[in-house]
Amino acid sequence: MKLEPVPGRWSPPASILLVLVTTLLSACGLSIPTDPDGTLDAVRRDGVLRVGASPSPGWVEVGDDDPTGREPELVEDFAHHLGASVEWTVAGEEHLVEMLEKGELDLVVGGLTDQNPWTAEAAPTRPYTEERTADGTKAHVMLVPMGENAFQSELERWLDGAAS
Amino acid sequence: MSRRPHGGDEAGERGYPRSRFGHTDLPEEQASALRRAVRLEIATLAFMVTAVIVVFLTMGSSQAMQTAWAEDLLALIPPLAFLVAVRRARKRPTSDHPYGFHRSTGIGHLTAAVALLAVGVSLVVDSGLGLLRAEHPPIGTTELFGHAVWSGWLMIAAMVYTGIGPYLLGRLKLPLAEQLHDKVLYADADMQKADWMTALGTIVGVISIGLGLWWADAAAALLISGSIVRDGWRNLRAASSGLMDRRARTFDDAHPHPLTLAVDDVLGRQEWVAGSRSRVRDQGHVFHVEAFVRPRAGRNVSVDDLETAVDQLRELDWKINDVVLMPVRELPDTIPDPARDQD
Repeated sequence: MKLEPVPGRWSPPASILLVLVTTLLSACGLSIPTDPDGTLDAVRRDGVLRVGASPSPGWVEVGDDDPTGREPELVEDFAHHLGASVEWTVAGEEHLVEMLEKGELDLVVGGLTDQNPWTAEAAPTRPYTEERTADGTKAHVMLVPMGENAFQSELERWLDGAAS
Repeated sequence: MSRRPHGGDEAGERGYPRSRFGHTDLPEEQASALRRAVRLEIATLAFMVTAVIVVFLTMGSSQAMQTAWAEDLLALIPPLAFLVAVRRARKRPTSDHPYGFHRSTGIGHLTAAVALLAVGVSLVVDSGLGLLRAEHPPIGTTELFGHAVWSGWLMIAAMVYTGIGPYLLGRLKLPLAEQLHDKVLYADADMQKADWMTALGTIVGVISIGLGLWWADAAAALLISGSIVRDGWRNLRAASSGLMDRRARTFDDAHPHPLTLAVDDVLGRQEWVAGSRSRVRDQGHVFHVEAFVRPRAGRNVSVDDLETAVDQLRELDWKINDVVLMPVRELPDTIPDPARDQD
């Protein structure tokens, strides 16, 4: 591509280029973003969403049965949206993050905020809700595997609808 | 003997008139190139500040975009170095700085070279580690006007914006760097090349990530970083050798400057000269010439002879102004022949 410096005239505009690229790619049967490890497709195909839950008062309550609370409810609804059922693993955060890294889990909840320490090991979703506490506003997130961008985008879009 | 160059009007002494480097008055072509270069560098600074803001707003937690942001910050250094260096270089020599302030260009070149090398090395380390650790870059969505948009599209838009400026500005700067013999400007053009190449690499990388090729972003960055490191290293070597009084070279440091040979040619053509030996160093924009001449046997050399020779040397090029010409019985054997080791 050769661009000549023509002051005051940008051609072609970036937006047209983007639309063009998107159209071309969808015409080839590709969707953007795609998961490198195919998480979203696997959940839909197998009908199982593997979720790790770490106890956090109000957000994730654990007992003898499946976890309850605000986040497990959201997760159950999300799994339903994907046509899947949830397979729960209850453990401490570090252990769950490790499983997420190994590809043994698809999602981790535990009352986590955007200040969580796992950003090098796991991808936090865009904050889906904010909570005002005595220490200031806390933006809540869930953790998904690194780079599973289709799955992450699907979850974020769904949380946008669910939270409002 | 040494000749004091004819200076311009003294009225502008305090305000550093724009058409001068030290005592050297610039021809119209160079004077207008200098004005253009200063305007371009101010435009570059203004543009890069907006680029830094745009990338900051879109980077989120993306490692690649954070690196791009750090590099945009480093890209501010060469234009600043140019503006500072050129302002200093305009000053006339003082009793404390009898050679003038031309060396500020060398310092600016070194500064810009280090910044360029830093960009290249940071890119190598960042993308190399990313590949080694097999990092899968996460790119989620961003809420834009009530819609969730994949952030990759926004990053691509940001990179198109931050890439276009350097692409155009860099191409405008290269010819000016040659006209002004300004190596800071040359290094800055290299930095702009690094900028638009990185932007292009990031666009390719983000699209690849979108297609599920997690490694492509780091691989593209690694590919590009090689050329940036090479440019940075080349500029660093050139700038430090220049400060160590290497013989004058062309604006891109590709070859010894032809003027280094022209000096002995001109001196050899004087009818009273039997032989000459000269050394020419790059002060920054302008050259400093020291030449020794051996008159023919039995020929008395007059001050007029010397002045004529110096005038002819200074007519060669605007860059040659500060000339020291020394008649000697024997040419000094401590100065190597400038015609040797041409590359």
